[in-house]
Parts: sequence; structure tokens; C-alpha cells
Amino acid sequence: MHVSLLMIFLLATPLTASLLMAVLPSRSVSTLVFEALHAVSVLTIVLLAGYLIITVLRGGEPIDTLGGWFYLDALGSVFVFLISALGLLTGWFSLSYLRHDLKAGSIGAVQFKQYYTFFNLFLFTMLLVVLSNNIIMMWISIEATTIVTVFLVGSYQTKLALEAAWKYIVVCTAGVAFGLYGTLLIYANAAEVLLDPAQAVLWTSLVGAAPQFDAMLIQIAFVFAVVGFGTKAGLFPMHTWLPDAHSEAPSPVSALLSGVLIKCAVLVIIRFYIIAVAALGPAFPQLVMLIIGIISVVIASLAVFSSDDLKRKLAYSSVKNIGVVALCLGFGGPLGIAAALLHCVMHGFTKALMFCISGNILMKYGTRSLKKISGIVQVAPTTAVLMIIGLFALSGFPPLAMFIPEVMAFVAGVSAGYVWIVVILGLALALIIAAFMLVVSRSVFRKAPEQLQKKDLGFMILAPEVIMVVVIVWFGVLMPGPLLKGVESATAIVMQQPDQNVLHNDPLLKDFFAAGELSGSNVNE
Amino acid sequence: MSVFILTTGALIAIVLPLLTGLFIVMCPQKAARVLAIVAGVIATAATLIIWCGLAASPEEALRVSLVTIGKVEVIGFVFDRISVMLAACFVGIGLLITIYTVGYLNEGNREHPDLPRRRFFAAFIVFIGAMAGIVYSSTLVGMLVFFEVTGICSWLLIGYYGNENSERSALKALILTQIGALGLFIAVGYLFAAAGTFEVSAIASLSDFNKAVLLILILIAAWAKSAQLPFYMWLPSAMVAPTPVSAYLHGASMVKVGVAVMARVLAEAGAIPEVVGWVIVVGALATLLFSFFMYLPQKDMKRLLAFSTISQISYMFLGFGFFVFGSDLAFEGSVMHIFNHAFAKTLFFLIAGAFSYTMGTRMFPRLRGVLRKQPLLGVGFAVAALAIAGAPPLNGFFSKFAIFAGSFEAASGNWLLLAIVVVALIETVACFAWFLKWIGWVLPGEPSDEVAAAAPLPKTMGFVFVVLIIFTVVSSFIAAAWLG
Amino acid sequence: MDGYALINILGGLLIITSLMVVLTKTIKRAAYIYGAQALVLVAIFITLGVVTDSSELFKWAGTALLTKVILIPAVVLFGLKKLGGSTVDTTPPRSSIWMIVLVAAEVILSFLAVGGVELPTALEVKPALAISLAHFFIGLTCIISQRNIVKQIFGFCLMENGSHVTLALLAPDAPSLLEIGIATDAIFVVAVMVFFAVRIYKSINTLDTNEIMNLKG
Repeated sequence: MHVSLLMIFLLATPLTASLLMAVLPSRSVSTLVFEALHAVSVLTIVLLAGYLIITVLRGGEPIDTLGGWFYLDALGSVFVFLISALGLLTGWFSLSYLRHDLKAGSIGAVQFKQYYTFFNLFLFTMLLVVLSNNIIMMWISIEATTIVTVFLVGSYQTKLALEAAWKYIVVCTAGVAFGLYGTLLIYANAAEVLLDPAQAVLWTSLVGAAPQFDAMLIQIAFVFAVVGFGTKAGLFPMHTWLPDAHSEAPSPVSALLSGVLIKCAVLVIIRFYIIAVAALGPAFPQLVMLIIGIISVVIASLAVFSSDDLKRKLAYSSVKNIGVVALCLGFGGPLGIAAALLHCVMHGFTKALMFCISGNILMKYGTRSLKKISGIVQVAPTTAVLMIIGLFALSGFPPLAMFIPEVMAFVAGVSAGYVWIVVILGLALALIIAAFMLVVSRSVFRKAPEQLQKKDLGFMILAPEVIMVVVIVWFGVLMPGPLLKGVESATAIVMQQPDQNVLHNDPLLKDFFAAGELSGSNVNE
Repeated sequence: MSVFILTTGALIAIVLPLLTGLFIVMCPQKAARVLAIVAGVIATAATLIIWCGLAASPEEALRVSLVTIGKVEVIGFVFDRISVMLAACFVGIGLLITIYTVGYLNEGNREHPDLPRRRFFAAFIVFIGAMAGIVYSSTLVGMLVFFEVTGICSWLLIGYYGNENSERSALKALILTQIGALGLFIAVGYLFAAAGTFEVSAIASLSDFNKAVLLILILIAAWAKSAQLPFYMWLPSAMVAPTPVSAYLHGASMVKVGVAVMARVLAEAGAIPEVVGWVIVVGALATLLFSFFMYLPQKDMKRLLAFSTISQISYMFLGFGFFVFGSDLAFEGSVMHIFNHAFAKTLFFLIAGAFSYTMGTRMFPRLRGVLRKQPLLGVGFAVAALAIAGAPPLNGFFSKFAIFAGSFEAASGNWLLLAIVVVALIETVACFAWFLKWIGWVLPGEPSDEVAAAAPLPKTMGFVFVVLIIFTVVSSFIAAAWLG
Repeated sequence: MDGYALINILGGLLIITSLMVVLTKTIKRAAYIYGAQALVLVAIFITLGVVTDSSELFKWAGTALLTKVILIPAVVLFGLKKLGGSTVDTTPPRSSIWMIVLVAAEVILSFLAVGGVELPTALEVKPALAISLAHFFIGLTCIISQRNIVKQIFGFCLMENGSHVTLALLAPDAPSLLEIGIATDAIFVVAVMVFFAVRIYKSINTLDTNEIMNLKG
């Protein structure tokens, strides 16, 4: 009982913080109050989320509450982890970043308050997405993330920021309307099959009833859902809002958008994927994911290479990585699914780090144009080191986090027989590497402009970034057991195998995940 | 017990350099070279201990799984005659070059006066660790990991001077090898799909078809790293790197990654379908002829050496190819050649670097009468050139001899293979003549203006030259005795 | 049977009204036509409620009346007032003929797509179902083809209406809570969009999306 109550608290925390901030007047209240409320909120989220995740993974049973409307299983836990951890880190980073903006005059007291209000509301809506079991609410909460973040994207109120915000809201609402259509089709079908309309909105009951669904209808519905939520996830060709919104938003918000929000949309796609696989068998859903995935990867890689703006480069790289996630889902099989989930986590941390770093660079250079940025290593050496590690990680080099899902993706793709897709993926990756290495050699190395003060940013800015780098290295070198366990259980859910240890039974992977965690140096004489 | 020592040693040889690299970035600039040398010495000692450890052990080969998920070995080590020898060679040469660098990268350099930045030593020491990792790895995933790490390190080092040209060359090297690495990436997936494991030794159990596909995939990656056709382009461009880097790339790292991976894979593959042999042999011959014609017109000593490396690596592939056709001697010769060539080529490059450092040029037309002015450099040049050309009693002769003897043995009865061997042999002779010509030009006679005005040789360089000259003479005996 | 015929006819009316929303010259008039179209929607809900004997649908009709007929046009008109005067769509119109052809094509394609569905509830109302799908795409067409910001907002509303009708046709028994959730969400979206439209107009002094195409997407 009390555990499900905690779930409500988890949702209530950022909501309450946000409402409190909204009520407080911006002029008479010290900025410290907003910062304190914000800090309490993000810390509480981490504690509650951590406890809930541990409970779910330990017990092996999902938690639900409020008549099954809210639901946390291992699959959701992976994403709750991402939201809470990155919410804390980017929230921490926000503190100094916003103060800097306030001091520089690019925002006023009103926007300062607005920022924290919407930041917490943003966390709330994302938690709502991943905790929803009601598919309509899932859709509503995805829509809500758009409504909330559009204010964050438009924070700076410049012409470009407004343009980005408009594009964001139009493309996303139109796109997500497809999601609504798909959702409603599935609901209508389920209402027919299940007889009890109240059950027909619950994802958990939909999965069970899926084999009786109308094939044509579910095909239409799945395509609509992929287009709809794929818009939010940033898949080609609906990704057009993403580079604009991610580049115009304040850097910590870009970090959350790219690191977490688009992953939440991926979760919704995965939920629909599960239903579609149960209703249609894997062939059709996988084909859809493969097509959309490989196109996203190719187009986005070209865009990453040709872009001159640091944040746009990073944004396009997010499109590419979401494409990789889609591909992994398309490859299917336990390894493919696990790769997709791990890729979400690893890319989340890496991209959040890189967007935060782009914030450092903005603070230091006042521009995002890579042509004007050079010699970071002289101007801000610590930032430079973090940035190099971040870019290596994004390029998928070992021993950094993203290497692991990358290798898994290759293995899954080859195992599934899609060698040509894997080859294209590999070539796209080479292009991405070239793009990012050029950033390192031109912007990080080379000579710094004369007039810049050679002094790195403060501790409060660097500390969350250092933590992210540590996480990236740690996950890459020694993946923590609980994470692997969580991903395994989540994979079992996606594969719809009642056995939590699904990967144990796969003929190919019989032993792969058997121990569930890495054993240390296991010396056989 | 001995397995424990070997594993610990290997971990030290790999992880200590990696950590040192990270640490160097955070330390003051002056500490960088000291840290790098200390880490290099410890790593070299570790590889030597491993060598002794295996020699003392009654076993032919020892295997250790290091990171496993369930029962699947993801990363593991294998200690056998090939790996312990090559690791000691690669790490030890890395150390020697680090020492040499201290004398090379400084204000006194006539071609590139420069203070060494931390980045250089950090990347270099990581490179050394990654080389140990490649050689000891017993799984394809492990190889892939270190393969990629060497890619980053080489990128950082080739682009070290930071001008447009070096940036472009660095990127060329990285991207071409990355495209080749795709072969290894797919191979990892293919092996896992076919055998359910990542262990290299599992290749032996595959069907002929799977084995051929897998080996050719790995061969693509090996070609890319070893600068063979059609990937060779990055190696001549990579000459913009500081000379110690070129020495390491050619002698004991980048280009040796490919052949080392190939040696490991072939050694454990069991009976290999002949088609793989044909692919290897034809590829090797094409590269061999191509590189020979490319090095005729070169005047820059470093560019000449680049093409010479490409052709020397082709000999190793040739040996591998004839191993597939049944000659163990050819294989042994190839592995020996990896070892021997490492010393000779490193020496050659470092001599070229010393020319640049003391005389400000490494263009052949301006280099005459070196022997009189700088006798140590002169001797080094002669030894290196003759070793590369394959003149007895220097090391290159023995390994090439083994390769050719083995090749003839395997080719007997097949006129096409025989023709390939003969062509290769003719190339060797021509190469010999060509090097003899340059020795005759550079060493004897009155010093030219540049040579006459040469600065004194730094002591660190001198030390390194002495060690390398000794090894270039004796390495073949060590390898022959060890490989038996 | 008659009830279903009426529904299909009302569906046709839906297409006509939505086409008018897309083609109309002034924003104000578009808002009124949208209100009228929402009335058609309400009529569909009521007819369907009578035919299928579903009490939930009457509640839907009520919500739709409140949110779609009254609130959404009101919000848009309120926004227009804030803009002060610029109620005429000054952007050069796309050719009406082409728009009509496009819409016709969408209707035909939707009929083809719906043809394969074999859900029992869908059989009676297939034409209406196809029309609702087409309606959804007309909304999308409106967003893509129209350069006026406010028109784009209506485009979104049309998509929304299309999905509503589909839901009502396929699952008349759906709890009204669902419908209320979706409708409320739509109000929020429209309000935020209008808010940004006003802000854009105040800062850039245009409602033409071509004027705000500096980002390359």
C-alpha cells in the first residue's frame, strides 16, 4: 500500500513545487526561495524514484495505484531512473546557469521564476508519461510535455527563440495528434474485445487482449502511433522541430529535452510496439521501426556533419541516436531490445553532459557558432577535457558508455540478418566520428582568441558535469549490476515473456545474462 | 598461481598506462614525461615478467576470462607464444620511443621546435596500454575495444601539430580505419550469432562457410589498420605526425594492430578454407607491387619509409596466406617478421627524426656523409636499412627467409601460387637494391652543408639508438628461439 | 438504419465545413465557421447516441458544445482582439482548386484504408469512419499548406475533431472521462498556441510563418 502511495508522492513533488513557485510573486520573493524549492524538489524526486525502482526490481512485481491508472514496471523504471538522475544533475547545473543569465541580463526576474516553475512542471509531465498505464493519459501527458517545454524553449524571448517555440508547438501537436488517432483506434478495438470500457484504456489489459485485435486496424494504429510519438522522439521526417528547439532552449533544458524527453516518447513507442507485436507478430512492427530508424540515422548523420552550430550538431546527433534506438527495436530479439533500452540510458547521460557543456561554452564565448569557438583547452581546460570525453563518448568509442549498446546493436543486427543495415549504420557512425573529431581539433584545440579571459567556470557548473562524465566512464567500464538487471527485466516485458529472466531462455543468449550481472575477474585455472 | 601472476601483469600492462594517461591530463605539464616513462617502464617490466612466466610454465598457452556475463566471456586474455612476445615488443618499443621523445620534442628541435604538451604523453601512454590489450585479448570484443582505443590515440597523435594538414591527415587515418573496423564490428556479431560466444578460439568450431565469412570480415579490419590496399592512403598522410609518433605507428602500433589481430585469429581458427588464403595472398601481392612502385620516386625519407612499411606488412600477410595453404613455417616467419620489423622500422624512423632534429632536414638529396659527422646515426641508418631490405645477418633476413621458404613449400605444385611467390621475391631483391643505393648516397663521403652543421645528438636519443641497434641485430634469434 | 445514414451525411457536412475553414479569407470568419463545424460534430454525437443508445455520447456532445463550439473560437477571437485588427489572412492564398483536389484525394485514400477494417462496430459506419480519417488529414493539410499562424491552430483543431469522430464511431460506449480529458487538453494547446501567436505578433509583427523561417530545421 505505502509503496503505491509513494508513486503519488513522486508525481506530486514536482507538481507541488511548480505550483508553489507559480503562486509566489517573482518580484518581491528572493531568487533564493525559488532555487531552494527547486533543489528540494529534484532531490526528493531522486530519493523517491530510487526507492520505487529498487522496490520494483527487488520484488519483480510492478506497482500500480489509483485503479491501475499509474503503473511502474521494470520497463518504466529504466526511464524513471533517467528522469530522476538527469533531473537532479541538470537541475543542479541550472542553478549557476540561470544566475549567470540573470546577471548577464538575458533573462529577468519573471523569466527566472518561470524557468524553475516550468522546469519542475516539465519533470512532472515526464514522470506522468512513464508512470501512465492509461494510454489516453499517456498521450495527454506527452502533449503536456510539449505545452510545458514550449515555454522553456521560448525562455529567452528572442526572435529566434519564439520561432523555435512556434515550430516546436505546431509540429509536435500536429504530430502527436497522430499519436492520439492511433491511441484511439487501439482503444476502440479494445473496447470491442474487452467489453469493459474501463479496462480498455489500460495498457496492461491491452497487451493481454492484443491477439484478438483487428489486424488492419492495429497496423494503421501502430503506424499512426510511431509517427505521432516519433515526432516527439525526433524521428525523421518529423524531427524538424528538434534542432531548432534544442538549440534555442537554455542549455540545461536542451540537456533534459535531448537526454530525457525524447526517451520518454521512445518509451511510449515501445509500449505500442509491445501491443503491435502481440497483435500482429513481430514482422510488421519491426519493419516499420527499421525503415524509420535507418532513414533517421542516415539523414541525421549528414546533418550532424554539415552543421556549424554546436547545439544544432548535438541536436541532430540526438535524432541519429533515436534512429539507432528505433533500429534496435527493429532488429528485435532480446539483444536488440536490451540494446535499445541501454542506448536510451547511455545516450541520455552523454547527451545531457554535452548540452550542459555547450552551456559552459556559451557562458565563456557567448556564441554557439563553431567557427568562432577555438582553443577551449586554453580558455577553460577542465571544460575542454570533459568535452573531449563527451564527444568521444558520443562517437561511440570505448571504454565509454555508448560503446556497449553500440556493440550490442551491431550484434543484434547481424544476428537478425540485417547486415546491410548494419553496414549503413557503421558508415553513418564513421561520419559522426568525423564530425565530432573536427569539433575537437578545431574548437577545443587550436589557438584561443586573444581577448578571452583564461579561467575555467566555477565549481557549481563543473561538478554536475564531472559526475556525468564519471557515470559515462563507469557505465562503460563496469556496468552496474542493478542497471543490467533492470534492463533485463525490462527486456522481458518488451518480449512479453512472463519469465523475468527472459534472456536466460533464449537459445542464443542462454548464458549471456544468466548471472544477471557482471562477475569480476573470474579466473579459471 | 602462475595464471594469477600473468593476469595481474597483463592488467598492469594495460590498465596502468590507461590510468596514467588520464592522470597526466590532470597533472602539471612538467610531470607528464616523467609519469609516462615511469608507467612505460612498469608496463614493459610487466610484459617481460609475463614472458618469463609463460616460459617457466609447462603449458603451451594459458587462458583467463576477465569479464564475463553469465558464462559468456566478453573480455579475456590469452597468453601463448605469440601474444607474450608481441606484447613485450610493442610495449617495450613504446617505452623506448617515449624516452626518445623527451629528447626530440623540445626547443632544440631544428624542424619543429616545440614544448611537448600533456596531450602527447597522455595519448602515447594510452596507446601503449591499448597495444598490450590488443595482443593479449582472447575475444573479438576485447580486440574491438582496444582496436578503437588505438584509433583515438592515433588520431590525437597524428593531429598533434594542430595545423590544417595534420588535422586532415589525422581524420583520414581515423575514418579509414573506422570504416575498416566495420568488418570487425560485424565479425563480432557474426561470431556471436554463429557460435554464441565472443571467444576467438570458437572460430575453429565454425562451419567452413561461416569461418570464411568471418575471417574475411576480420581481414578487412586488419587491412585498414595495417594500411593495405584499398585502405593504405592514411599511412603516407600520417607522416605529418611528430616523428616519434610515426615511428610507433609504423614500428609497433597502428599498422601492427592489423597483423597482430590476424595472427591471433588465424592461429586459433583450425583448418581454414582455401578461399581465405586466396583473398589474403592476392591482397598482399597487390599491395606489395603497388607500394614498391610508390616508393621509387620518394625523396622524403619519411614518405619512402611509409611505403616501405606498407610493403613489409604485405610480406606478413603473404605469410599468413601461405599458412592457410598449409605452411606453418610461413606463419612463424610472419609473426617473426612482425617482431623484427618492429625494431628495424622504429630505428629507421627515429634515425629520420634525429636527422630532422640535428640537421633540420630529412630530404635525401641534402643528406650526404653522415657517417663522418654523426657515426651513431650513420650506423643506425645502415643497420635499419639493411634489416628492412633483408640483408643477412640482420633480423629482417631471417623472417623474410622463413616466409619465402614456407611459401615455396606451400606453393609447390600450384603454378599460380608459385608465380605469386616469385613476384614477391623479385620485389624483395629490387627493394634491397634500392635501399643499397640510398645507403651509398647518405653514408660515405664528405658531409653536405646541412650534415656538417648538425647539432649534437641528445643523450636520450643516443641511448635509444644503441638499444634498438642491438635488438635489430639479435631480435631474430630471440624470436626464432622462442617460437621454435 | 436511418440514423446511420444521417451520420454519414453529417460526416459529409464535416468535410465541407472544414474545407471552408481552410479556404476562408479572414481569420474571424474562420473562427465562426469552426464553431459551426463543431456544431455538426455535436450533432453527430447526438445522433450516434440515439442510434447506439449510449448515454455517454450525450455527455460527449455536452463537452464538445462547451469546448469546441464555444471555448476554442472564443479563445482564438480573444487572441485576435489582442492582436488588434489584423484579422485578415494577408498571406497569398494557395489555389482553392488544388486544395479541393487534395482534399478529395485524401477522402478517397481514407476510404481505401478503412476498407480493410473488419471491426463489427465499424461495418455500419464505414463511410463516416473514412470521412473522419480524411478529416484528420485535412487538418494536417491545413497546417502544412497555410502560412497564417492562426490557420495552423485551426488545422490542429480539425485533426483533433477527426480523431474524436473516429472514437465516437468505433467506441460509442467509451467513458466520457476520456473525451473530457482529450477536449481539455485541446483547449490547453489552443490557448498556449494563441499565447505564442500573440507574442510572436508583438515581437516580430507578423502572423506569416514564412516571415519566421530563419531556423533551418
